[in-house]
Amino acid sequence: MSCLLELSNLTVTRGGRTLLSGLGCSINAGDVVVVLGPNGAGKSSLLLALAGLIPADGSIELLGRPLSTYDRKELSRSIAWQGELPPTEFGLTVRQRLELAAGEAGGEIETSAAAMDVVSLLQRPLGELSSGERQRTELAALILRDAPVWLLDEPTSHLDLKHQIHCIHIMKEQRAKGRAIVTVLHDLQQAMAIADHLILIDGRGGAEYGEAKQLFTGKRLSHLFDATVIKQGSVLVPDYGEK
Amino acid sequence: MTMRWTLLALAIGACLLLGLTVGEHWINPFSPVDALEKTILWDLRFPRLLTAFAVGGLLALAGAWFQVLLGNPLAEPYVLGVAGSASAGAVSGLMFMPESAWLMSVGAFAGAWIGIVAVMFFAHLGPNRMLLAGVVLAAFWSAVLALLLALLPEQGLFRAFAWMMGDLSHSDLPISVLLLAWSIALACGLILSRALDKLLLGERHAEALGLDVKRLRQRLLLLASAVTALAVTAAGTIGFVGLVIPHLMRLLFGSLHRAVLPASAIGGGLLLVLADSAARTVIAPAELPVGILTAIIGVPVFLFLLLRRA
Repeated sequence: MSCLLELSNLTVTRGGRTLLSGLGCSINAGDVVVVLGPNGAGKSSLLLALAGLIPADGSIELLGRPLSTYDRKELSRSIAWQGELPPTEFGLTVRQRLELAAGEAGGEIETSAAAMDVVSLLQRPLGELSSGERQRTELAALILRDAPVWLLDEPTSHLDLKHQIHCIHIMKEQRAKGRAIVTVLHDLQQAMAIADHLILIDGRGGAEYGEAKQLFTGKRLSHLFDATVIKQGSVLVPDYGEK
Repeated sequence: MTMRWTLLALAIGACLLLGLTVGEHWINPFSPVDALEKTILWDLRFPRLLTAFAVGGLLALAGAWFQVLLGNPLAEPYVLGVAGSASAGAVSGLMFMPESAWLMSVGAFAGAWIGIVAVMFFAHLGPNRMLLAGVVLAAFWSAVLALLLALLPEQGLFRAFAWMMGDLSHSDLPISVLLLAWSIALACGLILSRALDKLLLGERHAEALGLDVKRLRQRLLLLASAVTALAVTAAGTIGFVGLVIPHLMRLLFGSLHRAVLPASAIGGGLLLVLADSAARTVIAPAELPVGILTAIIGVPVFLFLLLRRA
């Protein structure tokens, strides 16, 4: 498998606070890396740094070249980043949003809209959509991008169960096609279903990378989230206590 | 959509004909009865109509750009204080030579650019802080303007107030310059239209789609400010056009800038042609400040369309 992203001694700082430091890893084609950690730990910031959208110390190499040597246009061809769309007041429709994502890549809007179940929303303004519909639109926009690396920031956080499952399936499909995916998730079941590797960010500046099967233990996750995670059968679940 | 463009094109002809016809003396533009009517039509009214069209179009373009640049639908060409600094400049010109329209225009142009340069110092802080700085600067320029008006000799006061409410009767800028500026501004807008569309998604998403947001913001700020400075120099401070025309055109033609910008450049021009025609007709032989008429004509139309859309 070819290495798409190579991080070494990566340090991400925002507002004078070091969110994570010393992170190193190689992310290959066909690899899904799930980023886990408590709120405010720096998961989204890590994705922004990987997308070249905020500065970071250390080294990030994309396709063997330092990220800093790419201009914005080149980066957009190699990395597709999905984050929550800010509110927009100017009446842009779902179709127009997808057209902007398709851009030079020329992806088929109808196909990606069908993949994320937003065909019926194509003429609706973005400002009139629910959070879940907006998130599906953003995922449809992501599918249109022909980038080898996908960075997804909580892609399932507003989705209903059907579309959560659908989103995980799409990630699996894309992994099979050789895309490297780095995604922030909060749902442990989803993380277990999709992760090949994990990046754990503890919120105190520490970050750890490793194989999912090694890091996915109740003890580690309990420590990471400062909450009790227990094993039920073969899966790890938060301990919500008795009903 | 084709129908709407056709209607807009027809409206250009209709508004120009109306503007040529009405005034203190109503004249049939197809058959002026004597040389005087010909002179009124082609030496007085026609140049003024073209000036109104170009200024209105420039203001609407600047409004559309400022709204995207600042990510704020309430933005308009004067939001960053350019109107205040231009007015202060114009009144400064009047203080030295109360009878000189030329010095007033020079003062307005210089004032507009002083206002722009002042705002540029805050451009690197991002749109929200730049907007805040602009609003504060606008308050400062208002205070400077009030001070200058208090010191202005009496014979200059009427002129100053007329200019501050919009005055197309004393434009010193050649029409060719204004029409050229309208064409260049529209061409620049069309070149940038795809980038502007991306900016509607927010800074991060636009960057993720390959847009150099910082460079675009710098260009847009300069372009919108230069256009505003030119419009203010030509016709004083005319409100409403730059705020509402872009929204009106979004309601009619959608959000993409390849449609919004040409529609605004035409729509803004037409509104100002209509307003100016009304301004020199309703209390003829006297004239109303055109800025009053832009709001009186434009507000009901806009609110009607807004309600229909809702």
